[in-house]
Amino acid sequence: MQWMTLFQKELLENWRNKKWIWVPLVIILLSIMDPITTYYLPQIIDSVGGMEGAVFELPEYAPADVMMMSLAQLSMLGVLVIVLISMGTIAGERKSGISELVLVKPVSYLNYITAKWVAYLVLVWVSLFLGLLVSWYYINLLFGNLSFGDLMITVLFYGIWLTLVVSLSIFYNTLVKSAGLVVFFTILTIMVMSITTNIFNHVLDWSPNNLSGYIIEAIKVGEVSNDLMITGVVTIGISILLVLLSGQIFKHKEMA
Amino acid sequence: MSLLTVENLTKKYGAKTVVDHISFEFGHNKCIALIGPNGAGKTTTLRTLAGLLKPTEGAIQFESMKANQDLRGMIGYLPQYPAFHSWMTGREFLIYSGKLAKLSKEVAAKRADELLHEVGISKEARDERISRYSGGMKQRLGIAQAIIHQPKLLILDEPVASLDPLGRRDVLVLMEKLKQDMTILFSTHILNDAEEVSDELILLNQGHIIESGSLSELRKKYQTTVFELQVEDDINSYQDKIDALQSISSTKIERNMMFITVSDINHAREEILAVATEENWPITTFSINQASLEDMFMRVVKS
Repeated sequence: MQWMTLFQKELLENWRNKKWIWVPLVIILLSIMDPITTYYLPQIIDSVGGMEGAVFELPEYAPADVMMMSLAQLSMLGVLVIVLISMGTIAGERKSGISELVLVKPVSYLNYITAKWVAYLVLVWVSLFLGLLVSWYYINLLFGNLSFGDLMITVLFYGIWLTLVVSLSIFYNTLVKSAGLVVFFTILTIMVMSITTNIFNHVLDWSPNNLSGYIIEAIKVGEVSNDLMITGVVTIGISILLVLLSGQIFKHKEMA
Repeated sequence: MSLLTVENLTKKYGAKTVVDHISFEFGHNKCIALIGPNGAGKTTTLRTLAGLLKPTEGAIQFESMKANQDLRGMIGYLPQYPAFHSWMTGREFLIYSGKLAKLSKEVAAKRADELLHEVGISKEARDERISRYSGGMKQRLGIAQAIIHQPKLLILDEPVASLDPLGRRDVLVLMEKLKQDMTILFSTHILNDAEEVSDELILLNQGHIIESGSLSELRKKYQTTVFELQVEDDINSYQDKIDALQSISSTKIERNMMFITVSDINHAREEILAVATEENWPITTFSINQASLEDMFMRVVKS
């Protein structure tokens, strides 16, 4: 099947250019950085000489709060990494001319786009799972009990957020030819979404940007709220819409 | 029946018309050369035919199919500067191309091996990454990927322009062989190549077809005879005397050689030799040349 051919090629490419090695590693690092540094902060302060006389009241963190730190890191640097690895997936191929050889074959444009989309989603979801799994291990070791179910809720719903990030990147990949512009527009869109969500907080209950907040709520309470469910569905909806739209744009756009 | 019929094909970029209402058609198992100077619209025409660009106006019809359908399954295309996934090996890339063209895995692998042999990519090079390939090897791999699905029409954009003489020869021989199984449409600005492999020519200039037809037809139409004259002393001093002769249509001097275009060979030869003998010109070269495609091209493009 043609779709599988395109999909396998993406997986193989990401394997040969080592994305399958460094992306999970970076996501793992980002996920455990804050839990570990937070736990060892007193020792770190001591070992660099301490502060004579100053008394630090380090707050006690609940496991859910520490998980939030991991997500906060992923929301900043993790998102950036994802945009950077996917920035040239179509734009770069069009710029270099490789897409000419591919698209001159009877390849469906939607297959071309969705194969890339799914290939990056697999990479991102696996990395996210590994990252949060290690983070969860340390949280349980250092801060207290967090159930495996809570981990799965976090992975599932945060994965949906990252799915939207990948979809945005793919969308801009079909719009512009320069990988730099793809990064710019994707980050800009996420920032604008975040600002809009903050300003119109009272009406935008189901904005994708609320996902992290709802996730933390859910693992604190131990129950997935309706808001979280609906926000997840809305986010998936927007992602699929973006990919379908990309297909349409690509179909009507010339590959030159 | 024609293999491909193109009617009033037009391609505009904003206000700029790159290809302007061109129409042509050709049959099966032909080799057609699209020639023209840089910027004539050759690449745009080929890319439109390959389905990479959408025509602003006009119809492209393949055999008895409806006009402007997706023809990509019937066509093989090699761009002027093909880019490959350089992390793949040559063999992997061919199999990938074949599978994209809807061949099964087994058939694609079999075709890939056949073609690697046919285009002359050595056994060792097959499993090397394309990033290590030379320009000539990439061009041959490019042709192989274009014909992996046995298209009826093979479109090659400047297939030999970037190759050294040896590579050029290889590709021309390969085209000669391929033309037994498919129609080849290729662009070039090297007229010798066109002369060598093509049956028909289409001359494009500034987006218009200015001339087309078979090689022999065009030869006949534009046939002129040119004498080449060289003398020991300054050739310029002889130009007026030659120009004065009745049977001469024009003269020009390039690098101390005079090119004399004539209408009637026999008459002109008599006249020139007569005056030369009479005045005892120190002639070193005097020869007759049939106009080459290049002269024809220059004349048509300039007029």
